[in-house]
Amino acid sequence: MVLDVTAKTDRGETVPIGKKEYWEIGLDLDGNHRYGAWQIKEIVDLTLPPRKTVQERFMAELPEGTKSADVDITVTYHPSKKITLDVFKETRTVTF
Amino acid sequence: MLIRTIIVVLISLMPIGAFAMHPEAQYGGTEEISNLDVLVTRYSDETCKECHEEIYAEWKESYHSQSVVHSIGGLRNFIVHGVEKGWNAEITKEHLMRCMDCHAPQLQDASKSLIRDVAELIKKTVDAQDEDAKEKLAKLNVNCVICHNTKVSIEKNLKGKPKPGVYYGPKGKSTTWLKKAGFSATRAHGTERSAAVTSALFCGQCHGMYTPPDGDIIGCNTLYGSYQDAYRGNGGTETCQDCHMRAKNRGHRFPGAYEKDIVKDGIGVDAQVIGLNIKPGTWIPTIIARVSLTNKAGHRIPDG
Repeated sequence: MVLDVTAKTDRGETVPIGKKEYWEIGLDLDGNHRYGAWQIKEIVDLTLPPRKTVQERFMAELPEGTKSADVDITVTYHPSKKITLDVFKETRTVTF
Repeated sequence: MLIRTIIVVLISLMPIGAFAMHPEAQYGGTEEISNLDVLVTRYSDETCKECHEEIYAEWKESYHSQSVVHSIGGLRNFIVHGVEKGWNAEITKEHLMRCMDCHAPQLQDASKSLIRDVAELIKKTVDAQDEDAKEKLAKLNVNCVICHNTKVSIEKNLKGKPKPGVYYGPKGKSTTWLKKAGFSATRAHGTERSAAVTSALFCGQCHGMYTPPDGDIIGCNTLYGSYQDAYRGNGGTETCQDCHMRAKNRGHRFPGAYEKDIVKDGIGVDAQVIGLNIKPGTWIPTIIARVSLTNKAGHRIPDG
């Protein structure tokens, strides 16, 4: 799952504000990342834990002279490499 | 009374074969089977849909109905990269049942030669894009018989193995339409109540870390561990069935990670964005975004 915050300025620039990925890293006993179920013995848990709220904070500077920007906040879920589910998408406009 | 009379008449008019073909006639055999179609027939759910049409249609849309073909890439990789290249061995029943104990438990009755045939079909499906092989494998899945009989007993030592021809459910009662008609049990099969089938552990048999008989550990997914330790451990009380079956009448489709509706139900998002000018004198336009993500599911997100 990916949280992405991106700004599009009034002058047409696209500026990444922040990005966070939530996933499990499967490890073999040597501590190497593996995909095979038969190889995975432990995980590094970078997921969202149940019944918990995780707060992310991002800060990014925009190009000088920017007067306004549309900020897209998206959350996408990727059950496989080929599939993307749009979980959340909102656009907020900010002015300076 | 009228309904009962109509049903009695209808049943009496049914061809004998309608009941003779029910799985209870075939299921329960103990001999090893070397032919895939014979194995599929032993575990056939074809007659289930005659009375449980709606549930069968739901299940048909589920990933349980595609439990082999949907996971075909991973199964092939285990055979080719795990067994053949990694362990330098030929596939055995013990090897394949590491996967198939969940993906196609029917294969517990397969002979060594059928196990080798199935392994070849898996490789052909992926490596040669062989549609005939895929079609044959599609007959293997987690069907009515598997959940309502084969895998239902999670306390075999205490309660014994499932009885052949008996289907276990949460109520142990005959189907509603037969009950209304005054029948206490169906003629098609025996029905018994199972507390196990309503438990999260029932699903956890396959949706969690798995230890096969040789003691090795398979990390296919870790969902049940997260459910038990992080969800129940933090006060959660709902079961897998509460969210994936009962909520929104999801039924036997068991929607999960591949369906947007249930994924969205599991994730709460709250976003705040402000713009401000920082660095006095230079005044750089700056964005500060705060996003809160709440996992409302009963397990970690994401999980396999």
